[in-house]
Order: sequence, then structure tokens, then C-alpha cells
Amino acid sequence: MAVVIKPKKFFEVCVEAELTPELALRSVDEVKKFKVYYGNKVVELGELFEVAKQGDEKKLILDGDFSRVKWIGARMVDGEIVVKGSVGANCGAFMRGGKITIEGNADDWLGIEMAGGEIIVKGNAGNLVGCAYYGDAVGMTAGKIVIEGNAGNYVGEKMNGGEIVIKGNAGDFIGTEMRAGVIEIHGSCGFVGGDMRGGEIRIKGSFELLPTFKKTEKGWVGDVNVKGEGVIKTF
Amino acid sequence: MLWIRNGIVVDPKNKINAEKMDIFIKNGKIVEENEVKKEECKVIDASGKLVVAGGVDMHAHIAGSKINTGRTMRPEEMRVVRNIAGKFRATVGRVLLTAPAIGYEYAKMGYTTSFEAAQPPIGALHTHEELDAIPMIDKAALPVFGNWHLVFKCIEEKNMEKLKALVAWAIERSKGFGVKVVNPGGVEAWMYGGNVKSLDDQVPGFNVTPREIITWLIKANEELGLPHSVHLHCNNLGVPGNYQTTIESIKLAKGFSNAKRQVLHVTHVQFNAYAGSSWRDAGSGAAEIAKVVNSMDNVTIDMGQPIFGHATAMTGDAPFQFSLHKLIGARWSNKDTEVETGAGIVPIGYLPNNPVHALQWAIGLELGLLVDSNKVALTTDYPNGGPFTEYPYVMAMLMSKKMREGELSKVNAYVQKATGLASIDVEKTLYEVIHMTRSLPAKILGLENKGHLGIGADADIAIYNLNPLETDTSKEFEKVYKMFKSAEYTIKGGEIIVKGGELVKEVYGRTFWVDATKKADIQAVMPDIREYFNYYSVQLGNYGVEERWIKKPARIEVV
Repeated sequence: MAVVIKPKKFFEVCVEAELTPELALRSVDEVKKFKVYYGNKVVELGELFEVAKQGDEKKLILDGDFSRVKWIGARMVDGEIVVKGSVGANCGAFMRGGKITIEGNADDWLGIEMAGGEIIVKGNAGNLVGCAYYGDAVGMTAGKIVIEGNAGNYVGEKMNGGEIVIKGNAGDFIGTEMRAGVIEIHGSCGFVGGDMRGGEIRIKGSFELLPTFKKTEKGWVGDVNVKGEGVIKTF
Repeated sequence: MLWIRNGIVVDPKNKINAEKMDIFIKNGKIVEENEVKKEECKVIDASGKLVVAGGVDMHAHIAGSKINTGRTMRPEEMRVVRNIAGKFRATVGRVLLTAPAIGYEYAKMGYTTSFEAAQPPIGALHTHEELDAIPMIDKAALPVFGNWHLVFKCIEEKNMEKLKALVAWAIERSKGFGVKVVNPGGVEAWMYGGNVKSLDDQVPGFNVTPREIITWLIKANEELGLPHSVHLHCNNLGVPGNYQTTIESIKLAKGFSNAKRQVLHVTHVQFNAYAGSSWRDAGSGAAEIAKVVNSMDNVTIDMGQPIFGHATAMTGDAPFQFSLHKLIGARWSNKDTEVETGAGIVPIGYLPNNPVHALQWAIGLELGLLVDSNKVALTTDYPNGGPFTEYPYVMAMLMSKKMREGELSKVNAYVQKATGLASIDVEKTLYEVIHMTRSLPAKILGLENKGHLGIGADADIAIYNLNPLETDTSKEFEKVYKMFKSAEYTIKGGEIIVKGGELVKEVYGRTFWVDATKKADIQAVMPDIREYFNYYSVQLGNYGVEERWIKKPARIEVV
């Protein structure tokens, strides 16, 4: 029971639409008038998507391929979004609460600087999961991201809290400049923990360790280059 | 033709204090009433409004490689959208504005002139390309001399003719305006990982000292008769206890005189006015500096007031920038400009509850209040102390003790102990603050047609919705701040560019540059220049900027 949004066509250029569960509280006509960017033009949501309502629950169902739609769930505070396909970049950016379930794949910048809530990806995720936007000092600070498939590079860069779980493999530069929080990788990954100051990275499979970590009882502690006390361990 | 009717004029240069007057404009200049045909004039009704000259910012970093490196290393700055494209260009930037944003924001505030305060001569082309991209305002750039190997060589040889020739040649080549000196000798020492700690430290590899560099450049500047004096960023910037170095440097101006202006301008003095021996016991040296500046008639300063919030430290003082980076742990970028100078960039944010930042904030205000209004210009050393868009905050603070008391209660209590700000009762008048932002910086720079509303002056005018006869600047500081933030009208060269705080027309100002080549025998130094070009990455023939490459050059010839 919620608002169901379906793409009318294949998008030639990316759509930028900050779709949040707040929309579910509006009438169908109001949702259709919601302003989104299609390329460099501002258009109404109704021009690009079909909108239907199924009750009053604070929930968005995005039915179809949203891999060219950016900023879904950005800044959301509560409610739920279910994506029945893939999503584009910046999904769940700055989110503070609520839940996003993605049945397909997620693009880059998933859950960037998120401060609460939960994101579940059934497929794969791209690069820069839960990290900071260029120039910002801290990435994800709270909340949880679960990726059932694989993830790309720079997972949890500058992460300062919260948890990222990757059931598959991940790329290079995991937890770079990480300060707090937990990254758990059930598969294998490349380089981990460069300039790490705190937090914990747990890896089940193989990974590349930098020479700047010290072996201790807790695991490998470092990065000593920045007097860090982060922990990397296997499980 | 424009006719500004019934405005309340404050024009310190012409000793006009809140008098109801009409102003007439023709061909971009202020003219006598009888020179215009009133029926053809566009009339601006300024009844009950404050009419002053357009603001003159004598020290800001608005163009060149430094601010560009700053923009590159601070992508987060570019997320603040200031203007969406339409009739005017799209502009972004929080503190590090894009080039058009700089012009627009100055204009909205009623400022019409701004000087880029440090331009490495070899980077002149870049600086001018970028100055050309700044709309609305008149501008100029000050080339830096204090760490140039060629300058050291002329001083080592004690050859004033050569030094004068070099200065005149370099200012002509870089289409610069005057002589800027940044941490003389210190940046050269930085090339070896060091710095100079006093005026008498020897510069590594050269038989010269900072004291000699400053005095010789003042002498060369005065013998050439440049419109502006030497513009000095002192040694030991940002080091607790540095106020003594600053005072020593100021005293180097003794023995020189100029009937028209100061012989030494010491810039962003706030960063050079710390007492104490470390940041744990740092205090204010502002009162001592103010005493010395007030006792001398040939020195001026500007404030370098920090504004709480975001800023970006960028100076030609590379060693200082490195220590700042080490101190606060922020990002850092270093620039070395061959044999001429260097620079560093470090992002910074001033926080009211941080004792050091609160101290810096208080020292800036102390300088503004304690130094004679005829000797201290208002600056934030944009973007080092903060955005120039907060000048109205500084203006209002100088005019209202009540506002200062309110702000003091919000900052770290260390300020009460380490500075005398709380006990300063001075409240500058509107007349004095208009002087500090208009006529005084114009006088310091040697711009005769700027900063005032007399006959023959450039028609750069700001009109604010503030009646000075009915406003108590000491009590109504909120109103004063709000009105100065957003000009009712800004007129640039006789054209209305801002109305009701909104941009209405885009214009391009001139770029001033000084030609003093006739005052020196350039050939005296050419053999040395040719020899030094063996060490440059460019050929001598490709060095510098031709006048025709500049959008609207305005040559000022020194004869």
C-alpha cells in the first residue's frame, strides 16, 4: 500500500529526482507535479513516470528500471522505498532514517554521508559506497548498508560510524581514511585501510595489506603513518 | 547622464559629512551641475538615503594561481549556488567564489574597485586572464618582489639604479600596479625547508637580510615615484610574539617621506599582531602596534579581520602555510614559482569557541578601533580572514560597542583575558567607516579619482537605504549591517549595475597598471635579466603581458 512510480520510457539522459517517502503522503496529482530534472530541463514527474496510489502507507514502490534516475531517497528521514529494479547514482545520499531496498544493482555514491537508516542492495553496488563527497571531511556517520552482491572501489572512505556489510567481493581502497564504524566483507578485496585512524574492517576472503599495519592480538593495527588505531582482521 | 537627487552625502575626502546634495554624472565622471542638461538626465531619487563613493578593497586575493589552486582543492566550496544562469552568469562558491561571482557580490554590496594583492610576475598572464573574467569592478594586481633572486642580487650589489630598473621593468611586464613584499627572504629560505625569524637573519644563499630587502624596496619605490607605496606582508606572520617584528618593520619607514601618501603600507596586520610565546599563552599586540602606527605619519595598515565561518588561507608566505597545515591538520598545497616567489594554500574555518580564532577576531577589531581612522583600512584579506561579503559586519562592529558586547558574549572567554577589546569604548562614526572603506584605501593606493564624490571623480557610487541623519549607528547596528550588505543602487562608471540589491546590468571595469619605465634606465638591469632567464622555464620574449591582451587596460604613467 503506497505510491507506485513506473518509468514511461527509456531515459536518453539521466533524471535527477529526490524521490522520498514523503511523496506517499501526497495525492497522485501532487506527486505528478513534483519537479525533477531531465537532463538540464526541469519537468514534472508525471511527464516521465506513471504514478498510482495504493493506500496511505509512507512507502514508495519504484517499479521498473531506475538505473538512470539519480538521488533516489536523498535526505529521507523515515518511511520506506522499494526499488524493483536497479538505481542510479547517489541513492540514499545524506539519508537520516527509514529503509531503502534495492532489488537490482546500485550505481556509485550509494548512501553517501548517510547519518541513519538502512539500505539493502540485492544485487551489486558501484564505487564510493558510504563515503564522503569530494572535499568533505567525513563520510557515513551512522546507519547500515547491506550489499548482497559485490561492491566497487573506495567503500567506506572517510567513514565515521555505522556499518557496511558486503556479502560478495569488493575492490581497492576499502576504508581509506576511515575513523570509526565497521566494514564487513564476506568475499575478497584489494587494498584496505590506507590512512585509517580508527574503526574496524573484517574480511573473510583474501585482501592486500599495506606495510603500515602492525600485527597484534586484535588483528592488524594502523595505519601507523597517521598514528591510526584502526583494526583489520579476518573472520 | 544621471542626476542623483536629494541624497545625504558622506564624502570624507571632500569633508562632506551627511549633507543633502545633488550629484550629476556625465560620461562616467562626476561633473558640475551646469555641465548636464537636466531634462535629459535619468533621475535617481535618493531622498533620505545615504550616498557614498563605491567601496575600494585594497587587499584581496581575487585572481591568479593561488585562488585557483584553492578552488581546485576545495570542491566542497563549489556546491553553494549563488546565481542561476539567466540574464547573468551562473555563479557558485561559499567563500572561494568563481570569477563572475566576485564581481557580482562586490557590486551588490556597493563596492566598485578591488586589488589582487599578490601576483607572482611569472604568473601575470594567468592573473590578468582571470581579472578580465571578473565583471562589474575596476581592478589591478600587485606583483611580488620580496623573494626574487634578481631583487636579492641588486641589493647584494648595493646597486639602486639596477633595482629601480628591475622594479619598473617587472611592473611593466606583469602589468602590475605596485610593489608587494611577502615575508621578505622567508619564502626563499623555505626553498630549503626553513624560514627567516628576524629582520636580521641572512637569506640562505644571498648576502641580504629582510631589513635590507624592505628598506631598499621602499627606496626604489619612492625614487620611482609609484602611485602606491611598498605593500608589506611582514615576516613571522601567524607566529605568537610576532608583533615585535611587525613594529620593527613599521619603523623601517622612518627616514622616508612622501607628501601625497604613506611610504609603507603594512597589510593584514591582525595576522602579525600576536603577543606571547606560543598559542597557549598568546595575547594581543594590537595596542602596541596601534601606538606605533599612530605616532608615525608615513605608515598605514589594513585590518585583515577574521570572520567566523569558512575561509581559506592563501598567501605567498609558503613557510607560514606549512606551519598552519601542521597546526590544524587541514589540507595543504604548496606552490613554488621558480626564482620569484612561492605560495601555500590551507582551508580553515574560524570558530567562535576556539580560543585562538576568537583571539584573532578580537585583535582585528582592536586594530580597527585603536588605530587612527586615517591610517587603517578595512579588509578581511579575502579569503584568508573570510569572505569580503562580510565587510558590513566589520563596519557595524566598529560603529557599535553594543554589537561588540553581544558578539563578545558568544565567543571564547579567553578573549577577555588576552585582549583589551571588552574595555575599548571607541565607536567609529559613519563618516570614519566610510573613510576606511572608500577614501582611505583609494588614497593609500594613489587612486585620485576613486573613493570620493568630488568633481572629476569616477562615477562609482553606492546608495544605501539608510538615513545617516536619523540613524543611531551605535544602537541600530542590525539595520546598519543589513543596509550595507545590499546596496539600493550601485553605479559603476555612470551606469546603474545594481538596483534594490539586485543586479541589473553587467559591465566590465578597467584594469589599472603603472608604467614607470621612463623613470629608470631599464638597460642597466637587462644583462642580469638575460642571465637569469637561463634559469626560467620561459624565454624572455614570452615573459609578461602585452597591454593589448587585457580587456580594458588603464595605463597610469609615472613621469
